[in-house]
Order: sequence, then structure tokens, then C-alpha cells
Amino acid sequence: MDWQALWLSLRLSFWTTLILLAIGLPAAHWLTFSARRWKFLVEAVVSLPLVLPPTVLGFYILLAIGPHSPAGRLYAALTGGMLPFSFQGLLLASVLYSLPFAVQPFASGFAAVDRRLIEASWCLGVSRAATFFRVIVPLSIPSIVTGMILSFAHTLGEFGVVLMVGGNLAGITRTVSISIYDDVQALNYAAALHTSLLLLGISFAVLAATYGLRRKVWAVWPPYGQ
Amino acid sequence: MDNKLSVNVRKRHAGGPRISAALQLPLDTHSVTVLFGPSGAGKTTVLRLIAGLDTPDAGSIRCDEEVWYVGAGTKRINLPPQKRRVGYLSQDYAIFPHLTVRGNVAYGVRGGAALPDLLARFELGELAERYPRQLSGGQLQRVALARALAAEPRVLLLDEPLSALDDPTRLRMRADLRRLLARAGMPAIVVTHDRIEALALGDSIAIMIDGKLRQAGAVSSVFDSPADADVAAAVGVETICPARVVSRNAGLVAVEIGGAQLVAVDTAGAGADVFACIRAESVTIERDPSGNVTSARNRLAARIVSVIPEGPLARVTLDCGFRLMAIVTRQSEEEMRLREGEQVTAVVKATSIRIVPRGY
Repeated sequence: MDWQALWLSLRLSFWTTLILLAIGLPAAHWLTFSARRWKFLVEAVVSLPLVLPPTVLGFYILLAIGPHSPAGRLYAALTGGMLPFSFQGLLLASVLYSLPFAVQPFASGFAAVDRRLIEASWCLGVSRAATFFRVIVPLSIPSIVTGMILSFAHTLGEFGVVLMVGGNLAGITRTVSISIYDDVQALNYAAALHTSLLLLGISFAVLAATYGLRRKVWAVWPPYGQ
Repeated sequence: MDNKLSVNVRKRHAGGPRISAALQLPLDTHSVTVLFGPSGAGKTTVLRLIAGLDTPDAGSIRCDEEVWYVGAGTKRINLPPQKRRVGYLSQDYAIFPHLTVRGNVAYGVRGGAALPDLLARFELGELAERYPRQLSGGQLQRVALARALAAEPRVLLLDEPLSALDDPTRLRMRADLRRLLARAGMPAIVVTHDRIEALALGDSIAIMIDGKLRQAGAVSSVFDSPADADVAAAVGVETICPARVVSRNAGLVAVEIGGAQLVAVDTAGAGADVFACIRAESVTIERDPSGNVTSARNRLAARIVSVIPEGPLARVTLDCGFRLMAIVTRQSEEEMRLREGEQVTAVVKATSIRIVPRGY
């Protein structure tokens, strides 16, 4: 049982989810409420990771953050380190890879908020930004929770992107799914079985907790007429 | 500066009527202006344009000396709704479902608006900690009003304020709303398509048909003296018939409608082609053809086409060369035994016939 890999995966999922919350909320807000004609292009880009093979995504990220790329050089100048085959690089890749899993539920939650409530807030003198935090976010809690859980679970199980960007460095980039792959390659089936079982248990527990929580949230904010 | 809200806007919605409305609303009185017209006339759009929720294609909106919107020229101004300070109540009141009554009323509180006072004024004190789902339609409406007033608006805009309520509540709230609007102590524009609501709530009225403001004035004067046939139909005049002027004499006009002659007070100005508008309640039905001497100028031989009971009243359709609607009590209907096909005399005072020009 590779406890180190499990701990790494949990840390990666946690930070990925947190960062996706920070950039996913404004991104989803823009996608939902912007009147720009070309916003469908942004929607398509955000959703690319849903259909792109993880290896393709990982390959491009690897090129983009490599030591010879502008982003890689900037990062090296700022921190003295390198992004590929580091935890930070892995985190960046995970955020991009799970972007649609956060943004899409957020956006569908925002879109379901009654427009008249938003307009009522504006007419009461409350700015667009404040309306977002005082009306739109509270009424989208279930969707936001769903998006966060999906991001967390998706990151926990990712494999291809991790392998391309992070490689297989114990304690730095060897996540739990890579560890299972290693065990199977080494014909160490017992260890693979244990780790897999644990991952299955964690995934189930997280999802079960989500659906349980959502029901409770709905009891606090039911729609009209209930 | 002139203390009023002046609106002069044009707006074309895809699939909607071309809206062109000019109206002025004094801001120093507590009067209620009803924006009245059939569904789809563009009344809600006018409210949304004033509130800043929609942008006109052209025109201007000014409140006192403040410019809210100017469309033409280089200096285009379009103040966002946050800066216009209008209390806008949408049809379903849009109460925030995740906040209590207190949270809703306090949501946009501005300046020194005293919350407890506001809650008390709208009889919400005991409901302060309740959530909207626990409230009735009438209570939600009071929350919406209190919430709007807490933000210290300069004018209230109410879109079909009673349409979200069930019938018995609506009857009760009609009287209540008039009282609450007076209590709000500020000018209000109320959109409605219901004649009774317009009469019950409005001090003045603006009639909107097909996107155009057709007539504005005191409620009673607009209802009694519609300027044209469309307005007459909108305010519920039952009989509107094309007529030809036969003669004019001493302020009276004789018109011919489908073979019958009527005398009316001359109001239409020039033109031989007019509409004669007659309210059903100003038509009297007589059984005795001998004809007593009355002040009524018009006595018409009529045949009863149909008698339709409506609660305590009966609506009688008469044929006197043209279709004339009359309304009588059920009691007189019984006493006079009004039946289909029988001959009666319809009596209309000259002052009850409104002559309006035909074609504009």
C-alpha cells in the first residue's frame, strides 16, 4: 500500500479544487452572463479537456511549461525552479484538465437563478459584483458543491496527464493511480488491489457525502411553492 | 428645475410591437399613474426602460434634473439601474428565497431608512424571521414594497402587482394596495390590463395600445371621454359604432347609425365620419312604447337579440339598426320579462353618447 502516493493525490485534489473554485466562479459568471457573440469559442476551449485524450493535453502542457517556453522561463526567473516533473506543474495541469468539471456545473447553477431576482437586486442599488455574492452564489450552492466534488474526484483519478507532465517521482508526482499502474506492471497484484479498493472507497464516500449534503442544502433553500 | 420624471422613448423588440411612449410624471405628489392597455401593448417594456433594465433605441429619460438616458448625439448616457433609484416590483415580486423577511427588506437599505419602522408600517413585524416560502401572496407583496422603499427610491414602478394573486386575495389586495401606495408616500406607476384595478388604484391614467401611448389624463376623464375608438374599446365601452354626421346644431350633433338617428353632444370637431361610443350602463330599456316625456333625446325601437345573466346583472344585446349593448339588473329583467326577439324601446341620453373622430 503506497500511503505516500495516496497522500500526494489527496493534496493535489484539494489544491486543484480550491484553485478551480477561485477561477471557476468568475469564469462561469462570465460565460453565463456575458453578451459577447464569441463567447461560444471560450465555452468550447473550457470544455476541450472533456474530449481531448489526456496524453494530448499533457503533451501540450509539457511543451508550454518546459524550460525553453516563455512560461517556463518566467517561472524559472521568478522561483528558480522548473514546472515539469514538479508538484506545481502537476497542479497546473490538473487545474486545466478539470476545468470543465468545475465551470460547467457552476454555470448551469448560475443560469438557473431567476433573472428577476438579479434585476431586483440591481434596482435596489446593489452592484453587479455584490449581487453575484449575495444572490447568485447563495442560490447556486448545490451546483457549486457539485462542481467542487466533481473536480476533486476527477483529479483523484487522473492518470494520463499526470504521467505526461509529472512523470513518476515518489513523493513529488507519483499519484495513487500511477502507483497502481506501477504495482500492476511489477505483478504486485496484492498492493494494487489494496490501493484500488481504498480509492474506490474514498470516491464512493465523497460522492455519497455530496448527495447527502445536497439534499440538506435543498431543505434550506427550496424553490418557491414547496 | 421641473420636478418630474419625463420619459420619451422608442424601442423595437424582436417580435414585439414598436414602442414609442412619451409621458411625464410629477415627482412631488403621491399620485399613482396607471399605465393601462391590453396584454402585449408594451407596458412592461416601458417600465423596464425607465428602470434601466432594458435600453431604448432612442429618446431620453430624465428624472428631475438628472439624465437617466439620452440616446442620440455624441453624449450618450445610460445610467445603470443601480444609480437610478427606482423601486421596481416585477410581477411575481422577486423576493429573495434564501433570505428572511428582515433580510429581504434590509437587502438594499440606504441612508437612514429605519428598518423596524418599515417592517411595522407594512405589518411585517411578526413575520420578520420567516422565509418567503412561508408567506402568502399578499404578504410577499408587502415585503416587496417595504424592500423597495428601504432603498429610498424616487419613484415606484409596479408591474401587474395583483396578477400573481388568486382571485379572492386579489379583491382584498386591490383596496390594500391603494392604501399601501399612499403610505409609501411617493409617486408610482402601476401597469395593469384590468379596468377595475385601473379605476381602483389610479389617480391618472395613460392608455397604451400597440406600443403607443394614446391618451393620458385623470382616470375619470379618460374613462368617460375616450379620445378615439381604440381607447374606448380598451377602457371597456361596450358599443362602438361607425356613424355619419347628419347635422350639427348648437353644440349638438345628429348622427346616423345603421338607419337609426341619434343626438349627441358634439365633441368630435370636424369630420363627417365618426364613432359613437355608448356605455352599456347608460342605456335604459323601456317596455311601454307610448313614450313618456323624459330628458333623454334618443328613443330607439329595438329588438332584443340576447339576454345574458351576469351575477346580479343581465347584459342585453339590442338591435336598433345597429348592435347596442345595455345592462340592467336581474330584477328589472324579471319584472319586464325581457325575452329574445321582443320589441322594446332603448333610451340613451345625448350626454351619454361620446362622439370620437374616425381615422387619425
